[in-house]
Amino acid sequence: MLTGWKDFDDTLRTLDRLQRRFDVVFDPLERLAPAARVVRRARAAWPATNVFETKESFVVRADVPGLADRDVSVSVEEDALIIRGERKLPVPDGYRVHLRERAPVAFTRKLPLPARVDADAVSASLKDGVLTITLPKAREALPRQIAVKVG
Amino acid sequence: MNEVSTPHANGTAPAKAYHRRAAAPSVDVFENADELLIIADVPGVPNDGIDLQVQDGTLTLTARRLDLNESPALVREYDETDFVATFRIPAGIDTTAIAAETKNGTLLVRLPKAAAAKARKIVVK
Repeated sequence: MLTGWKDFDDTLRTLDRLQRRFDVVFDPLERLAPAARVVRRARAAWPATNVFETKESFVVRADVPGLADRDVSVSVEEDALIIRGERKLPVPDGYRVHLRERAPVAFTRKLPLPARVDADAVSASLKDGVLTITLPKAREALPRQIAVKVG
Repeated sequence: MNEVSTPHANGTAPAKAYHRRAAAPSVDVFENADELLIIADVPGVPNDGIDLQVQDGTLTLTARRLDLNESPALVREYDETDFVATFRIPAGIDTTAIAAETKNGTLLVRLPKAAAAKARKIVVK
């Protein structure tokens, strides 16, 4: 009998568990090689990225928790920004695993840039697991004020 | 995603509504002979944005992002949210000795086992 939200939650959890069982049975990839599923999931675009625009620059931000400077590289090629890196996340030595939701991932993301940028002036910083890349627009991409002359 | 709201103390409508969106962080849980180790992804949350409470055998984590960027984005693949999680603390943990640290947008919480709960080898005389 359902007596409250707690029971409702338990029911949902049970359904979720059941769903996962079914996934295992019906997903050939999972059955053949459980590890393959992790790899496949990691192939989804990671890290998720937000792009903002200011008057002078584009600002790209991405959540990359666990990454240090040496784990990530940023480059600009032609009209695209490329972010590469790897989040290894090994199981700490001598520990048993109870729960593993944080996926190890090696990634390359290529983001098309909507305008020319000054590749030499691009800067990137990493703080609290958030990558921020600032790409100043190239001169020709900056807004210009056109003086209107009185004829 | 849940809404985390602070109930207003006297029950009247607050002058300035305060609520922020929160999501459950991705979490790893490890164990060795001495401790349980919880690692949670909390990107954008500095040290002083973390709040950890132990009460009634439950560990509650609230992590506030301080880098919210609400300005319109050209591309938005994710929403910046706070992180909220609760963990039931198993028996045999020394709750007075729980320690936590942040590193590169991850939170490490160490829950040491109480001396009585550690595996011991019994010497046979």
